[in-house]
Amino acid sequence: MAAPPPEPIALGLARASALGEALATPHATAAEADALPMVRAEATRLMARLADAATIDRDGEIPSALRATIAEAGLFGLTIPEEHGGAGFSLKATCAVIADLATVERSTAIMIGLHSGLGVRPLVELGTDDVRARYLPEIAAGERVASFSATEAEAGSDLTGIRTTGTLDGDAIRIDGEKAYVTNGSFAGCFTVLCRTPGLGGQRAHSLVFIPRETPGIGIGVEEDKLGIRGSSTVTVTFDAVRIPRELVLGEAGRGIDQAHAALSWGRTLMSAGCVGTARAALELALAHVNTRRQFGKTIGEFTASRAHIARMASRLYAAETLVRWSGHALASGQPIDELSLFVKVLASEASFEICDRALQLHGALGFLEPTGVARLLRDCRITRIFEGANDVLLVRGGAAVLGRRPSPEPLRLALGGALAPEAKSWQALHERFLAAAARVRAEHGVGVVRHQLVLQSIARANLALLVGLGCLLRAEARPDEFALGRHAAEDALAEVEEHLGALSRALHDETRVQALSELLYAPHAGGRAGSA
Amino acid sequence: MTTSEASTRERVVAMVAQILKVDPSKISGKDRLREDLGMDSLASLELLSCISDELDVDIELDEAMSLVTIDDACAFVDRVRAEQRGGAAS
Repeated sequence: MAAPPPEPIALGLARASALGEALATPHATAAEADALPMVRAEATRLMARLADAATIDRDGEIPSALRATIAEAGLFGLTIPEEHGGAGFSLKATCAVIADLATVERSTAIMIGLHSGLGVRPLVELGTDDVRARYLPEIAAGERVASFSATEAEAGSDLTGIRTTGTLDGDAIRIDGEKAYVTNGSFAGCFTVLCRTPGLGGQRAHSLVFIPRETPGIGIGVEEDKLGIRGSSTVTVTFDAVRIPRELVLGEAGRGIDQAHAALSWGRTLMSAGCVGTARAALELALAHVNTRRQFGKTIGEFTASRAHIARMASRLYAAETLVRWSGHALASGQPIDELSLFVKVLASEASFEICDRALQLHGALGFLEPTGVARLLRDCRITRIFEGANDVLLVRGGAAVLGRRPSPEPLRLALGGALAPEAKSWQALHERFLAAAARVRAEHGVGVVRHQLVLQSIARANLALLVGLGCLLRAEARPDEFALGRHAAEDALAEVEEHLGALSRALHDETRVQALSELLYAPHAGGRAGSA
Repeated sequence: MTTSEASTRERVVAMVAQILKVDPSKISGKDRLREDLGMDSLASLELLSCISDELDVDIELDEAMSLVTIDDACAFVDRVRAEQRGGAAS
C-alpha cells in the first residue's frame, strides 16, 4: 500500500518560520543568492535589447538572433547540472529568471521554460550516465532545444488515452504515433515523448523515451495559428517507425505516467513563473497609465475605483509569486510538489489573466488597441489556463487529492504575533471550518465523490485560497517591507476561502441545476447535429 | 482462493478491462493501477467508484487512494464485504 503524500499546508505549518523566509527570496541556496542576480540582470538586458514583443507577436516567431544570444548567455542550461555545462539552478531560481523573461516577452519565456522543465528534467533525472553525458552539453549550449510530447488529438488531460506506441523491435524500440501541440517542436533538437509501451512494463504501461531530432522517421507539421504566445513554436510531430536504442527509454520502463507527472511539476511551476512575469508587465503598464491619464480634472489613478483595480492586481501578483516560490522551495527541501504545483498553476494562470484583464480595463478603449501592448499580454496568458493541465481538470484532481488524505490527527496551528495576529487567527478558524467541511464530504460520499466535480472543485479552490493565505502571511511576516501588500493579499485569500466554502455547501444543488439545464440545451445537438437558433 | 474471491476478481478485472478497453485475459492481479495499467489518480478513483457501486461496498477516499494493485482492490473488497456481512448478521 502506498502512503498518501504529505499535505502542503501541514508541511508549511510545521516549518512556518523557514517557509516564510524562503517565500521572501527568489533563490534556494546561498550559491544561487550570489549567482542569480547576475543571470537575471543579463537576461533582462539582452531581452530588452533584442526581444521586441510586438514584432515577435506579429511575425509569429522568435528571431534566430535572439535565440542565439540567449544560448550564448547560457539560458538554455539553467536547470542542467554544472558538470554537463549548465548553471545547475534549482527550480526556484529558474522561476525568477523565467519571470524576468516573461516580463519582457512571453513566447521567449515559454521557449526557455518548456526547455528547462519538461524538456530537460526527465533526461537529467532519469537518463543513464552515458546518455546524459552525450546530450546534455549540447542541450545546455542551446544547440539542441528540448521539447516534450504527451498530448495527442484524443489524449489531452486524460493521458491514459495515448495511442503513440513504443514496441520492442530487436534490440531497439520502434515508436509510431502522432503528438499534438508540441511546444518548441519546429526547431527542437530532441523530443521527450510519453508513449504506450506494451511489453515494457504491463499491458497498458507507458514510458518516457528520448528521441534525438536526427532520428529517421520524424515529421514536423506546420505552425499552429494561435491566439497568443504567437512567437512560440507549436506543431504536430509524427513518429513513423522511429527506431531508438533501448538506452533512450528514460528511467524504469513502464513508469511513464508517474515520470510525466514529475516533469509536469517542474513544467507547471515554471509556466506559473511566466504568468508572474506577464502579470508584472501588465501591472507596470497599468500603473504608468493611471498615473498619467487624466479625466474629470485629475489622474484616473486618484479615483478609488481605479485604486481598487490596482490593489487587487498587486495582491494577486504577490499571491502568485509567493506560491511559485513555495513550490520551488518545497522541491529544494525534498518535498513532493505534484499536488502543490497543480494548485500553483491554477492560481498563477487565473491571477495573470485577471491582472491583464484589469490592466486592459484601466486603459479603457486604448487597452483594446494592440499598440498599448495590454491586449497582447491578455492574449499571451489565456493559454495558461489550458495547457499543462486544463484548470477545470486540475481542480477536480486537486480536490480528490485533498479529500484522499486523512487529516493530521494533531491540531495544526498558525501562531503569528504582532500585527498579523488577527489575520493568523482568521486563517486558523477558516482552516478548521475547511477541515470539518472536508470530513463531511468524505463521510457522505466516500469514493463516489469522484462523480461530483463541483464538490471536488470547491474543495480544491478553498484549499488553494488557504494555501495563498498562509503563504502571504508567512512571507509578510518575514519581510516587514512587504507587510502591507502581504496582509492585503492574505485578506483577499481569506475572503475567497469563505466564498468557496459557500460554493461547496451549494455544490450538489448546483450540480442538479446544471444537469437539468444542460439536458435541455444539449438536446438539439444530440448525435452531433447543429441546433437551430 | 474461495469462490467469493474468484468472483470478486473476475468482476473487478472485467470492470478494469471495460474502462481501459483491453482484453481481460491480459490483466494480472499484480498489475499496478498506475504504473502497469496507465491509470492516473482520477481514472483509478473512477474504477474504485464503479467497484463501490457494482459490488455494493463502501470505499473511503483515503482507502481508495492507497490501493496499488488489482489484488489490493480485490482483497479490500472481499474484506469490506465480509465485514458488512458480519455486521448484518450480528
